[in-house]
Parts: sequence; structure tokens; C-alpha cells
Amino acid sequence: MAAAPSAFGQWWRNLDKSAWVWVLAIVVLVLLVVNPLLRLLIVSFQQPDTGAYTLANYAAAYGRSRYVDALVNSLILGVSAASLCLVFGLPLAWAVSRTDMPGKNLVWISILGTFIIPPYLGAVGWILLAGPNAGWLNRLVVELTGMEKGPFNIYSMTGLVLVTACYSFPYVFVFTKSALDLVSSEMEDAANILGSGQLRTTLSITLPLVLPAILAAYILVFLEAIALFGSPALLALPGRFHVVTTQLWQFFEYPPKVGVAAAYSMPLLCITVFLFWLQRRVTRRKGYVSLTGKGGERRPIALGGWKWAMLGYCLAVCTLSFFMPMVVTCQAAFAKAWGRGFSLDNLTLDNLYFTLFENTLTRNATLNTFTYAGSAALIAIALALCVAYIVNRQLVGRHAGDLLSFLTMAPFVIPGIVLAIGFYAAYTRPPLALYGSAWILILAFATRFLPIAYANSNAAIRSINPELEDAVRILGGTRFTAIRRVVAPLLNRSLAGAFILVFIPGTRELSSAIFLSSINTQVLSVLLFDKSDEGNFEMLAAIGLIMVFITVVFILIGFRLMGRDFMLRRTAA
Amino acid sequence: MNRYANGCCVALLGAALSLAAACAYAQMPAWEKELYEAAKKEKQFTVYSAHYNTEGMANLCAAFDKKYPGVKCNFVRTTAQVAFQRLQQDLQANTAVASVFSSTDVSHYPDLKKRGLLLQYRPNNLGKMVDSLKQYNDAENFYWVTSAALMLITYNNALVAEKDAPKNWPDLLDPRWKGKVSIGHPAFSGYVGTWVVLMRKLYGWQYFDKLEKNQPQIGRSVNDTVTMLNAKERWVAAGPEGTTLQSRDKGNPLSVVYPTDGSLLMVSPSSVQKNAPAPNAGKLFIEFLLDKEAAEVQVRDHAMSVIKGIKPAPGAKPVEEIKLVRPTEEEITKGIPEVKEQFRNTFGV
Amino acid sequence: MSKLVLRNVSRTFGSFSAVEDFNLALEEGELVSLLGPSGCGKTTTLRMIAGFMAPTAGTIELDGEVISSPGSSLPPEKRQMSMIFQSYAIWPNMTVAENVGFGLTVRKLKGDEVRSRVDEILEVVQLGALRDRYPAELSGGQQQRVALARSIVVKPSVLLLDEPLSNLDANLREEMRFEIRRLHDEFRITTVYVTHDQAEAMVTSDRIAVMNRGRVEQVDAPYALYGRPKTRFVAGFIGRTNFIEGKANGDEVHFGGFSVSRQSLHSEGALPQDVLVSIRPQSIHMFKQDPGAGSGRRCVQASVQRRAYVGEYWDYHVTLPGTAQPLRVTARPQEVFQVNEPVWIEIDTTQLTVIA
Repeated sequence: MAAAPSAFGQWWRNLDKSAWVWVLAIVVLVLLVVNPLLRLLIVSFQQPDTGAYTLANYAAAYGRSRYVDALVNSLILGVSAASLCLVFGLPLAWAVSRTDMPGKNLVWISILGTFIIPPYLGAVGWILLAGPNAGWLNRLVVELTGMEKGPFNIYSMTGLVLVTACYSFPYVFVFTKSALDLVSSEMEDAANILGSGQLRTTLSITLPLVLPAILAAYILVFLEAIALFGSPALLALPGRFHVVTTQLWQFFEYPPKVGVAAAYSMPLLCITVFLFWLQRRVTRRKGYVSLTGKGGERRPIALGGWKWAMLGYCLAVCTLSFFMPMVVTCQAAFAKAWGRGFSLDNLTLDNLYFTLFENTLTRNATLNTFTYAGSAALIAIALALCVAYIVNRQLVGRHAGDLLSFLTMAPFVIPGIVLAIGFYAAYTRPPLALYGSAWILILAFATRFLPIAYANSNAAIRSINPELEDAVRILGGTRFTAIRRVVAPLLNRSLAGAFILVFIPGTRELSSAIFLSSINTQVLSVLLFDKSDEGNFEMLAAIGLIMVFITVVFILIGFRLMGRDFMLRRTAA
Repeated sequence: MNRYANGCCVALLGAALSLAAACAYAQMPAWEKELYEAAKKEKQFTVYSAHYNTEGMANLCAAFDKKYPGVKCNFVRTTAQVAFQRLQQDLQANTAVASVFSSTDVSHYPDLKKRGLLLQYRPNNLGKMVDSLKQYNDAENFYWVTSAALMLITYNNALVAEKDAPKNWPDLLDPRWKGKVSIGHPAFSGYVGTWVVLMRKLYGWQYFDKLEKNQPQIGRSVNDTVTMLNAKERWVAAGPEGTTLQSRDKGNPLSVVYPTDGSLLMVSPSSVQKNAPAPNAGKLFIEFLLDKEAAEVQVRDHAMSVIKGIKPAPGAKPVEEIKLVRPTEEEITKGIPEVKEQFRNTFGV
Repeated sequence: MSKLVLRNVSRTFGSFSAVEDFNLALEEGELVSLLGPSGCGKTTTLRMIAGFMAPTAGTIELDGEVISSPGSSLPPEKRQMSMIFQSYAIWPNMTVAENVGFGLTVRKLKGDEVRSRVDEILEVVQLGALRDRYPAELSGGQQQRVALARSIVVKPSVLLLDEPLSNLDANLREEMRFEIRRLHDEFRITTVYVTHDQAEAMVTSDRIAVMNRGRVEQVDAPYALYGRPKTRFVAGFIGRTNFIEGKANGDEVHFGGFSVSRQSLHSEGALPQDVLVSIRPQSIHMFKQDPGAGSGRRCVQASVQRRAYVGEYWDYHVTLPGTAQPLRVTARPQEVFQVNEPVWIEIDTTQLTVIA
């Protein structure tokens, strides 16, 4: 027998070298998720200069009626916008899922289109449509009726609610539709046989069955609405009121009051965490689960003559959210002056040309947008994959695994703007002074969309039988060999899909970028927002169109990889 | 100008330009040659500027590039406050971007100077400056006036007849302009900040209490008002002379009114930053701003010339005929932070 | 020296003890099955041998060297073993040839050699024609053969099989049992074979280790295990059996209705007062009438309580007077008895096995 190796030698020989990678992944996760939130909390209790603990920030944040009004405005916005989303989304979901309404594909494409448009671009479109004096709609009304002044004013709470709802209702649509898709016609037949009419059946049987899904969607869009930054900044400020997010942004004006901003962001964070918890509880309830059981046969409900009315309603909603804003945005992007209307001598490619090629700033911003979103997507997926792997292969204990997946999903409940403030608080000073560099944006984007990457990676890893890797190892391959030769090739398709799902929101992310970008690290979304201070809507529209174009290209790639439902399905669920 | 044609001709023009540049180079005084050579080594520099609109700034940079080939002028145009904020963020991140800082909020400069963030330099072209503006330069040569322009009443002449247009500042408070006035925000724009200080000085804060009742559209930049008038979103505005007339030149139906109670004279300085990545190019740019090429561009864009002996743009109202008002530097420096807060309380944003 | 030795190996998960004090030594070239019901710890044991899991107590030695101990465990890739998984774990992204050649490539063999050895082994498992197919294009049996070829081609120090046939249909399973035994006879690789199917274990194994609740009940050759089960569990798990309780009295051991001499009972060690014996159903014979003392047979009267005809044999339940527990008897198809019919049964006392 060979001489016994030294204890260390044996330990080293037996050590699974891949352990370092898992440890690194966990460290990165802590830096991205735990540290910013912790710093946010600490900073909110700190005196900016001395670092001493104080409640002064909270006093400053809530001591002024203007600031408290902004909180109330956010709640009004959230509740109204979410309710309007139901008005928009529910009939559409029902019509597309359960009826014989014609033109379902058109409705579906319009909703996908709505989903693709960044909300702030929609807001720009709506400014062009319903600016109080110059908006197309107002001018039309004045033209037709001879009224002195048009009736619409987008710079108002009503306007903000409308625009917010227009770009959030697809969530309601997707949630409700997938729930409706699972209700079998037999359940409705059972009620019909007992003498219940169609309408009554729909209201008393179908609706309660999908109610949990609707409730979940309602909560989601409420949270979307109160976390939104772009649309309120474009609409509420000229409308002369604040919401939480714009107020937070104001705290960052020179000199930035990070502590006050942190203190002020706490209600937003708490509401979000609480409501997500509530949403989880709602969707976990038994009644909802039983719905996902046997599908049974499904027959579309014949609407008769009403189907045209239904289609009319669906198209009206899509017109508000998609067709009208896109038409005026395109008009503005290709116009010398958008106010001059549609005419050949008003057409120009200058806006696009200038944005893409001529102006260093916009050209760099386009490049940065690609680079950052791409790098963020890569980092998010690599990290999510590591965590999903650690958790699924039980490389750590079960409780540690639960904690890791909780942390990875946590950014889902953190509003982008709060995450950005956390990042600002954590990474503007040594030892990790990332502020001003591209890294802070890349990492913030990666963190923000980590949950999307994780949900996808987790599903992907679960689909792989661990024995496939065991087989590699027992035949002499290391864990890395297993990952490289077996796991990665098997996952490449779903990971490419996950990449696109992170990349797309990365290219249009505004709420965290606005706090973290600097001149050298400008991205298109921030640029679009910055440009709004000169009121140059032609330029805004051009930048917006470029972003939409990028998104469409990547969505088409996604279709090829994963089928046409992938975006609505994966980002919303 | 057609940009494509421009692009195509670059190659052809290149030869001619370099010839012209060589010619100009031969005529340069020694200090300028020296500075130019040093700047060339730095290759490019960035200006954070709130002095002009994007177009005006682009014109200036183009003129600089033409005069000094080999040194590229980059610019970031934003409102005064955002430019200042960016500068602070860069400092904090320890990544200097701007070599030159041109704000319209004069209160920024004493602050930067006190914190030792500005480069001391005596421009050789300082002597060319209009004498009446010299009082606004920093006595210790940390910042210099490089832009002078007016803020006045503007309107869309397709919507408002000349006889109906406001004649003085309090005319904007007339109820017939309800929902039709456009202004900028003092927390962003140095022009607007100075203007609010002036109005407060002339008419007290009641001016804004009354203005609030007229529901003005509040943009951020003062240049926002031009877009609002062009879009017919608003009819009258407290706006900048330069950008408004520039837009009029393009055929937009805009007019300006020199208020009988005085047009606001905006005197805006520039500085070279101590941490400038390209200090020599920065100095060269200051010299450029104090020389005739820049002045000609500015005059063409309806700003005033800061140096002597430049002919006003054709059709421009001679300065002597305009009643100019300007709060004292102390009033501005002290007043702007105050009015920002007052403004927010009155207008809610 | 034994090839593979498991010494007092235990594995606990929290408070649950999956494997307890497991001892086993495999000789070079031996095929040993771990047999037991699901959850008995056999797969856990196999995964500890493979190095996917470390024992919480005890050691595993390969060629005299400790490869697993509670503190540290040689990673699987350094053990020179190979394994066949329940799911086959054929990599769907590689062709048959790439799958089979993988282990050789990892061992840094030259391309030519990899190719020739892969071709050779594919011929052995009769898959030569399918070398460039992808796994999705193969049947379950063919995938199983790929898995076999893939593990054998690397000439592993130990081959581990984890319920390799459980996903195949009955006919194919029977065929593959012999195939595995054939390959073992050809290559003589030291093999640990985990299964819950006793027939599978009996066909393939040199020895069988029967496991129950994390413990080894008995390790023996298939014949000995069936014929001489040492514990009640083993007797019950391997084939069907009858348990009869008896009492030792002097030189005789009395069971309900009959008795045997103490010497005729196979027992390790001293016979206790209360004796439990096992007798297989086919070691009991039934007669219509008492053959009588003159025949040299010792018969006991009983009656048929229940019967079932399963084609290959009759399955009778008969009760002896004075005992509640019926005995199961297997009889040839032509031996027909009616329910409640009095019968005479003869117990082959040489087949009585004393259970510890």
C-alpha cells in the first residue's frame, strides 16, 4: 500500500474545485441584492456628513405636505390605473379566450405591440395626441366642433392614469387569459343545464373561477403603476403634481439627499413587499390550483351579432394603447416639426440620422444601451444559472438553498428606482466606488432582471436529469466538464431565450438608469428623458423608435427560438 | 442643411479645409500656437453647457473644430442645474468628463471656486471683451463671461396679433392668457432662475401667485418654451431671445417683445475645471469663445457678442434701444436657492 | 486483497438513517447485487461508492486505499469507476459513438484509439450500425446497450449499476439480465448491481446482499440465499415462504401437528427454546389419502382453505389442526383438491430452515 498522503494533500485531492465558483456566485449575489438594500436601510438612518444615526431623514421626508401629497398621489395613481387596467384587460381576455370573436390575431398582435412599447414612449405619444392645446385629438375636436379649446389634457392625473393603464393592462390580459384557458366548458355547461343564462353563467361561474388570477394581476399592475418613473416624469411634472418616484428623483437634485431619498422610498418598498406576499398567497389558494387540473373540452361561446361590438371594443382599447400613439410617434420621428402635420415637405430622416450617426452622445448612448443590456443579461443569466444549479443540485443545505432562491427572486419586489437608490448608496464610495462607471449600470440592470433570468434558468435546470451530469463525473469528467459538455449544450436554446427576456427590458430600463448613469455612460432611455427638457419631441420619438426597433428584432429572434407566446408568458408569470 | 450632402462632400472639402487651416495656423500668435499644439495632444475635450440650445452649441463646436482641426469639441447640453449635478456626480465618481463648464446659473461659480475646483487662467483674448461685461468676470481669473443674451417675452404670431401681444412682464398675468403661458423651471434653468429673482425683485412674490392662476405650462429648460410655442401648445412665453429668433429664422411663426419694464440681460460665465481631462483644449476653447469666430456664430444665433467690434445680425434690434435689467450678482447668488423653494411651494413641482 | 471494501459505512440525513453500519467486501471480478425494497438504502450505498455522497461514518476502500470517509471523499471523477443509471443518462446532445467515446476522450486517449475501441465495444453490444444516431432515435433497449457500452469501454475499476432494467418492459428486461451477465463473464469487471427485483439479482449476481432499512440482512450466493435464508426478512423477500413456530423439547422440536429431530434442523449456533422455521411452498406436498407409515413418509392431516389456479401451478392455502396460520403450498396443475377437502400434507424436513 502506498504511503498515506498528508492530511492536506488528501483534503486538496478530494476537494471539489468547482466549489470556488459556487462560493463566488453567492458572494456576487450578496453584493448585488443584500448589500444595496442594507445600505439603503442604513443610509436612511444616517446623517449624511457625520454618519451618526438619526431620524432626521425621516422627518425631512415626511415633514412637508408636498411630499406627503406625492405619496397620496401615487396611491391614487396605483388604484385608478389598476382599475382601468381591469376595464381594458378583462373583456379582451374573455373575448380572446372564450368567444368566437373574429380578428383575435389582430387583437393579440396589438397587445404584444403594446407590451413592446416602453411606457415612457407611450407617454410621449400621448403628449403628441392629447397635449392640451396642440395635441392631435384636441385639434381634431376644435376643428370639428369649433370649440375654442380641446377637451383633453394629458398633463393631469387622469391623463397619467390613462397612459399608465394603457401600458400595464397587458398583464391583466395575460393573467386572466391563461386562467380562462383552463376553465373547461363543462363547468359552464353544468350551470347552463341548471337553467342559468350565458351572461349569468359567465358572471357567477367563470368569473369567480378566475378571480384569484385577476386579483393577482390587479396587484401586479398596481405595483407597476406606483413604481413607474418615466411616464409620471413626463406627464405629472408639467401637470404640476408629484408622485413618489418623481419626488424621489427630486431628492437627487444637487446636493443629492440620499438619506432623505432612502427614507422616502421605504413606504414604496414596504407596500411592494407586502402586496407581493399577498399576491403569492392569493395564487396559492386551493381553489386556484384546482383550476389548473383537468382542462376538459373547450368550446368558444357564440356571441352572435355582439361579436362585432366586442371586436370594436377590443380594437378601441388597442387604438388607445397601440395604434394612435405609434402613428403619432412615427410621424414625429420622421417630421421636421411634428406640429406641421402629415405632408411630404415635412418628412425627413434627419432625426434618426442625427440620433444614430451624427451626435456623439446619442451614438454612444445607442452603443452603450446594447453593451450594457447585453452584459447585464449575460451576468444575470450566469448568476441565475449558478444559483439555480446550486439549489437544484443541493450543493448547499436545503435552508441555505431556499435563502439563495429567495434572494435571487427578491429584486422582483424592489421598485427599480429604490434599487437604484440602494445601488447609489452602496457603490458610490470606496471600497467599491463603481459610480460613474459602466459597471454600476450593468450590475443594476443585472440585479433588476435577475428574477426573470432565475425563473428561466431554474426551469431549464430542472428539466435536466442530474444523472446526465453524474454520468459525466463517474466517467472521469469534472463538474465543469459536465456543465460544458452536457448542461450547456442542452440549455443553450432556453438560455438564449432567457437572454432575450433580460436583454429587452435592459435596453429600455429608465427608472434605475436615471440615477446611475453619467455622461459617459448614457443610455438611450435616459437620453430620451434628458432630451425631453428641451421639448424636442421629434428627437424623443426618433430615439423611441430606435428602441422599439431593437426590441422587435430581438423578439423575432425569440419567436424563432421559443414560439410566439414566449414574451407575454415568461415575463408576466 | 442637408446632412447627407454634407457627409458626401467631407472628403472633397477636407483638402480645402486643411489648406485653409494651415493658412490660419501661420497667422496664429505664439501663445495660441503653443496652446493649440498642447491641445492637439489631448485630442478632444467635453463642454457641459447650458448657455445655448443644442443647435447653437453644435454650431459653436463646429466652428471650433473648423478653426482648430485635430482637437475635437464634444458637448453635453442640458439645463444649468443638470449640468451642475453631472459635474458633482463626476467629482464624486472621480471620473472627470468636462473640461469646460458653462452654466447659466451664476451662483454655481463662487461655490466651485471656493471648493478649489476651478483652474486659474488669464485668457489672452480677455482684452477683446466688451467693457461693460468685464465687471462680471471673476477678479481672480477663475471664470469669464462667454455668453450674453436676453430673456424676454415671446409669442406665436400665428395665434397672437402683434397689437395683442403682452408688452411688459405683468401683462403675462392677464386672464386672457389663462392656459396659454409657457415658462421654464428655476430649479433647472439658470435663465429662469434669474428671471424669477428679477420678477420677485420688481413685483414681489405676488407676481407668481397671480401667474399660478393663469396655469402656465412649466417646462424645465427655458428653451422648452420655444417648442411649446411652435407646437401651438402655448401662445405666449417668458423665453430666450436667441433660441426663439433662431427658430423664427427657420420659418416658424415666432416673435419677440422687448418688455417695456426691461429685458433680462443674462450674462453667463464659463470655467475650465481643475480636474479637466483636457486642460489645454479647455483653455483654447475659452480663448475661442472670446474671439471673433465664436462671436459671429453667437450673433448669427441671436445671442449678443461678448467681444467688441462684431456687427449685429441683420435686422437685430440695436442694444442701445433695448431697456436692459439685471439683478445684482449678490441678489442672484442669494436669490436663486430661495426662489427655487418658493416656486415649488407655489406651483407644486 | 479485496477490490472494494465497505467498512461500517453509515449515512444519515438529519435524523433519518439511510444506511447503517454497512459491511461488504468485493473480490476482483465479482458481481454483487444490493437487493432490497425501495427506500432500503441500496441506492444511497451505491452513490457513496461512486463518490456522489460521503458517508457519515465508516470508510470505503478501493484497492486498499481509503476513497471515502466522513471528512473527505474522493470526487467521483477520480475513482476510475463507471456507472449505469436508472434513466440510462445517455446524453441527448451526443451521438451513440460520442456517448460511448466520452470517457475515453476525458482520459485523453488519441482519436484513432477512441474510435477503434468504441467500434469494438459497439459490436459487442450489437449497436455497430447505430453509431451515428442520436439517443432520441433509439429504443429503450438500445439506449440501455449504449449505457452499458459507455461504462464498459473505459475498463473501470468498478462498475456500478443502479436499477438499470427498471424502465424496460418485461420481455426486454429478461433478455437484458442475461446480457449483463454475459458481459460480466466476458469482461470480469468488479460490479455492484442495485435492484429491487430478486429474479434480476439471482440471474446476474455472484453474490447478493439483501438490505432492509439501511442494514445488510444477509450476503450469500443466490442458491444459498434462497435455500438457507438467515432472517425472516430475507426468507420473506426472496421468493414466497411459510413461517412455522415450534418449541424445542429435549431432542425433538415440536411444531403444530408434527415434530422433527433437533439434528435435522439447519441452524447456526445453539437452537433456542422457541424456534421459527421457514419452509418454501414447493417443499410441501399434498396427498388425497395418507400414504401410510409404510411408505416412509410422515404426513399430517390438513384441510384446503382457499385455492387459486395460476396456470403454471396451483396455489393452495391449507390449515393444520390447532394452528391459525395457513400454509401455502404450490402444487402441479394436475394435483387438484377442492376447498374444505381434507388432505394429507408432507413437509420436506430437509428444507426446513431455522430463522434467527
